[in-house]
Amino acid sequence: MPPSANMSNPGLQLSKKIIIGSLIILPVVLFLLSLTLGRYQLGPFGVVRVLLSPLFTDLANDIPEVAQRLILRVRLPRILAALLVGASYGATGTALQAIFKNPLVDSNILGVTTGAGFGAALALLWMGSQWQVQISAFVFGLVAVSLAFLGSRLYKTTPLLVLTLMGILVGSLFSSLTSLLKYVADPLDTLPSITFWLLGSLTSITWGRMLPLMIFTIGGLVFLWLIRWRLNILSLGDDEAKSLGVDPTTMKIVIIVCTTLMTAAAVSVSGVIGWVGLVIPHAGRLIVGPDHKHLLPVTIGLGASFLILVDDVARTLLPGEIPLGVLTGLIGVPILMVLLRRSRTGW
Amino acid sequence: MVIVELAAKHISYSYTPGKTVLHDVSLTLKSGEILYLLGPNGGGKTTLLSCLAGLLQPKSGNVYLDDQPLGQYSAAERAQQIGFTPQIHVPAFGYTVKEMALMGRAPHLKWLATPSEKDNRIVEESLEQVGLSELKDRSYTEISGGERQLVLIARGLAQRCSILLMDEPTAHLDLSNQYRVLEIIQNLTRQGLSFIVSSHAPNDALAYADQVLLLNGGWVTDYGKPTVILNETSLSAVYGIQSEVIYEPNSNGKIPRAVVHRRPSAIDPGSLDDPNSTLNKVFEMSIETPQIIVVTGLSGAGKTTFCMELARVARNQGKAVRGIISPGIYKDGEKIGISIRDLETGDEKQLATLRGNNTSEISTPRWQFNDESLTWANRILGKIEPGDLVIIDELGPLEFLRGEGLVAGLSLIDSGQFRVACAVVRSSLLPKVLQRWPKSIVISGNLEKS
Repeated sequence: MPPSANMSNPGLQLSKKIIIGSLIILPVVLFLLSLTLGRYQLGPFGVVRVLLSPLFTDLANDIPEVAQRLILRVRLPRILAALLVGASYGATGTALQAIFKNPLVDSNILGVTTGAGFGAALALLWMGSQWQVQISAFVFGLVAVSLAFLGSRLYKTTPLLVLTLMGILVGSLFSSLTSLLKYVADPLDTLPSITFWLLGSLTSITWGRMLPLMIFTIGGLVFLWLIRWRLNILSLGDDEAKSLGVDPTTMKIVIIVCTTLMTAAAVSVSGVIGWVGLVIPHAGRLIVGPDHKHLLPVTIGLGASFLILVDDVARTLLPGEIPLGVLTGLIGVPILMVLLRRSRTGW
Repeated sequence: MVIVELAAKHISYSYTPGKTVLHDVSLTLKSGEILYLLGPNGGGKTTLLSCLAGLLQPKSGNVYLDDQPLGQYSAAERAQQIGFTPQIHVPAFGYTVKEMALMGRAPHLKWLATPSEKDNRIVEESLEQVGLSELKDRSYTEISGGERQLVLIARGLAQRCSILLMDEPTAHLDLSNQYRVLEIIQNLTRQGLSFIVSSHAPNDALAYADQVLLLNGGWVTDYGKPTVILNETSLSAVYGIQSEVIYEPNSNGKIPRAVVHRRPSAIDPGSLDDPNSTLNKVFEMSIETPQIIVVTGLSGAGKTTFCMELARVARNQGKAVRGIISPGIYKDGEKIGISIRDLETGDEKQLATLRGNNTSEISTPRWQFNDESLTWANRILGKIEPGDLVIIDELGPLEFLRGEGLVAGLSLIDSGQFRVACAVVRSSLLPKVLQRWPKSIVISGNLEKS
């Protein structure tokens, strides 16, 4: 091998490692900075002191009790939720694009988000508590995907294509059902709350509601991170995967179960937030290329950063809240347009 | 390198029950050998490769790897021995050449592992073996088709497999890239690697293969050394083309070097009256063996007229002429029906009418056939005595593709109970006809002229 080839490689690897490393650190930095943002002004050092105050009691004595509570009980869970939901969408979008061999797929390919939306609307219609809404959204997210999956089992040919089709069908079914619920909902009370939920928001997040989100998101991310290199092989198609000793059917089912649980947990907390699962993998590919060994960690970092930033805009730009789903669309679509223009190698 | 032998014993496969696409295929591949699978599209090559690769489970029979049934190996164990390269396709994502080749390490890695430094070294070495080190950071979607094929070979090398199954590796490649890929395959056999290659290039098989398996309609029509089994007859039978073998110089016509496709020559049949005409030569040849003339051409080319003229002249010469012709029935210049005439007695019946609304058992999209006339014609053809000239006008898709219609005509020509047979077929069926009667003489083109 010529020495030049030997020389160029480690350099390339190193710069790639720096990029990946910084993209993983980025959400942590944004996370801390975002804690300082809001109507009540508190500098970064103040924030760090408040964060550490549960451990070292004297640390934040000079900071008013109200401010401490604002940081620990309102901003911290909300920004943490933004981080987890963003990371979850980034990773699930990447994994699903790989196993569906299609860069136009996102976390909602099998109807999980639409199903969850219906579940939430149903609970809101019956004046359910926030917990009931969250659980109903989670359960119906899973129901939608299960229906799509069972439906696809009825056909013997090209399971992937049928599964995609079933996802679209089940999605349409649930969105019709949601429309029906909106139609019968009280236009002064329930209808606005359903509409607002469907637009996505992290306003009402509490530590208690965070728990399922944390468990499913972190568990799912660890699993996807562990199998990330095998996503490359699955993206080649079933025959090639099999010839490389990988069982594509089992792996895909496990991945679909994992991404469904993650997405349902995220949606049930945040409401419908589109575009993240579609845009982030494209952005990641542009930065580190399509190799999922690097792409997956990068899309976790990018997704988390993106949603923290969008949520910052949502809660600080105007006196009132801007729905997250609206913002991700307004920001995500132009970004995707630019990315598609810039991507040279197909995708 | 370990000697690994792959064998298939009587394997059959069907995608849907009752529709067998692979019938009783057996083969043995030894270390360092190249086996070529040749045959027409839809002949079963890819299905056979998929069975051998363990992607499909044969419905009967078994594939053996070192005398162990393939099913007894785990997916990873199998993939450590057998590699598979599909027909060139562009993946959804633009992986680099190296990332693509690195995937070959999958069967050697644990479930949750990612490739290590050692795997990277193996892949770099594999890429160097196929001459792609320079391109390793290029995107697989940006390189040429030939280079993509080499990447897949490098992936197989990184897989450390002993047998590489390749589905049409030279399809869509220009001549120099075909050569590049095939030479690399040839070189790798010296390391004990063996290959099964499906292909549409009999000449590559003559140049590179140790064994050839001819597959047609899911059946093995020939299996053995390329120089022995690749000849005019076998290729006509498999592909339905007329071909000509060119032999190695100084081999006295023993060692074939290439098979070339010959366009069915537009032979000018001439008149039977003319002693130097082709038709007369055919009759001379028929003293040795029965001859089959296939008359083909577009509708209106004068096929039936040619047959009637031939019958008339032959009869004048005192030859025994038998068979049937089917002139069209015209009304206001439009063909509205087909009749059928016994050449011996001159009896004529209506055979088909333009398709109306009522459908009979036997019909084509345009014509509706009279069952009674067909039975009558088949009876005539069935009891024809050996004669000098048998004319059958015409044999169509009904007979060749569906086994209906004038089936007695097919078996009559198969029987060879004549000196010269003259069959009219449409041009689109010529491959089928040549598969059935490879040695036939084709007369095509505008017959009105002659």
